[in-house]
Amino acid sequence: MARLVILGAGVSGHTAASFAAKWLGNEHEVVVVTPNSKWNWIPSNIWVGVGEMSKEEVTFDLAPVYEKAGVTYKQAKAISINPEGSDTIDAPFVTIEYTGQDKEGEREEVAYDYLINATGPKLNFGATPGLDEGHTVSVCTADHAVHAAETLQQCIEKMRAGEEQTFLIGTGHGMCTCQGAAFEYIFNIEHKLQEEGVRDKAKMIWISNESFLGDFGMGGLHFKMGGYVTSSKVFAESLYSERGLDWILGTHVNKVEAGKVTYESLDGTTGEQEFDFAMLIPPFAGVGLKAFSKTGEDITADIFAPNGFMKVDADYTPKPYEEWKPQDWPSTLQNPTYKNMFAVGIAFAPPHIISKPMSSPNGTPINPTPPRTGMPSAMMGKAVAQSVCDMIKGVSETPTHTANMSKMGAACVASAGKGLFSGTAAAMTVYPIIPDYEKYPGTGRDINGTTGEIGLAAHWVKHLLHYAFIWKAQLKPGWTLIPE
Amino acid sequence: MSEIQEESKHVQHIQPYSAQSGTMVPLGMQKFLRTCVLWQIIRFIAINIRMTILILKSHNQS
Repeated sequence: MARLVILGAGVSGHTAASFAAKWLGNEHEVVVVTPNSKWNWIPSNIWVGVGEMSKEEVTFDLAPVYEKAGVTYKQAKAISINPEGSDTIDAPFVTIEYTGQDKEGEREEVAYDYLINATGPKLNFGATPGLDEGHTVSVCTADHAVHAAETLQQCIEKMRAGEEQTFLIGTGHGMCTCQGAAFEYIFNIEHKLQEEGVRDKAKMIWISNESFLGDFGMGGLHFKMGGYVTSSKVFAESLYSERGLDWILGTHVNKVEAGKVTYESLDGTTGEQEFDFAMLIPPFAGVGLKAFSKTGEDITADIFAPNGFMKVDADYTPKPYEEWKPQDWPSTLQNPTYKNMFAVGIAFAPPHIISKPMSSPNGTPINPTPPRTGMPSAMMGKAVAQSVCDMIKGVSETPTHTANMSKMGAACVASAGKGLFSGTAAAMTVYPIIPDYEKYPGTGRDINGTTGEIGLAAHWVKHLLHYAFIWKAQLKPGWTLIPE
Repeated sequence: MSEIQEESKHVQHIQPYSAQSGTMVPLGMQKFLRTCVLWQIIRFIAINIRMTILILKSHNQS
């Protein structure tokens, strides 16, 4: 019997665990280690953050789902990996520390034959002074979103009483990713304020590390519209302009205080922006896993990139933007040193960013880091689960499946409100995620597969995705028929 | 209200020479289509077909 240990139960880890348990059956063991007791459909946190959904509607308990699937569930956080074992344990193992199941604080060594690292990000609020001091809100977790909705409601009450309020939404550091979540959140707040009849009392400002609106951490995208090929810059600016939203771009927020942020811009200038309500996305980092050799030597730097994400089969050779190729991106997501270790979703180390690197005259890097959440994460989770299952069953000694972001598309639905007949959402697709200027000269992407449109239909798609993916994650009947 | 006045209501919030003045802004027909249920049913089907193709292409990497 082989044991597959999966660290993390987010979109990629849960997908990998679900499929691996199904394909391996009772002959082998699948173990999931996650510090959380609940699964969270993160895209709908946006609706929680404006009070349109409850926390219970976007989360569910993992334990009964894993019990049904035959997965061993350990509510714990991973501390370190010993890929060669240790003096006392011959097999590779991970050291975990329980966060629940009445074993809080207890440590355990969990041996593995194969390991999938799907730990997701550490929300690095500490990277920006003041960002972790409660002056701003976040929608990164369901609990954060509940708090955001409560704070928003307080602002609405003040506006009803005649006070004007300034809303600042965007990124809280020069190296953030996930602009899409903040993008969707500012539109949902704007819609909420319209519905509450207080929009005229609100000044709304977008602040971002993107060098142009619509970069989205992918260097922007192009699609066909009205007989033209237009850029996501025009598309996004139009959305902001239509709703009367101002924007501050190319910024590294370097300090957050009560009611005020200070920032440095790409052009070298500095500035301040006051706010009454701010939702600023933190930068992501690896969760801080350590790695040790059999002799106890610290080999963390061999396995993880400096940002804490796990090295896989990407080309990490430093090179200028002009020499970046789609082939730099990983395919099998297998660690090059330890072939029984894989990393998926946010946990793998990208070879470089996707947007063009930029920095201020002071040398402060100000550019979005690559998005790899949602659809790509799930696809990676499934592909790696397929490879590992084939390796366990002896079908192949090498990974049999790939999930390369340069051959993968992504869909993004950004709502503005939750109603089935009110508000309008933007539905975007991009193919491939990593631009390939040799295959698609000019725009780097297939203009037939890269699209954007605005309308109620996108709202319906967002609702469909919400219910379909929660159904799938709960492993309810027919879950395998719902695509990643 | 004249046709010019009717259309200007969609852009009257824009300040000259502001960042918002440098982009396209939808007028009445475009906004109507965004919430026209019949048209949006067609778009819903189209978006789903488009996303299905995208998913199939992404899963079949070669």
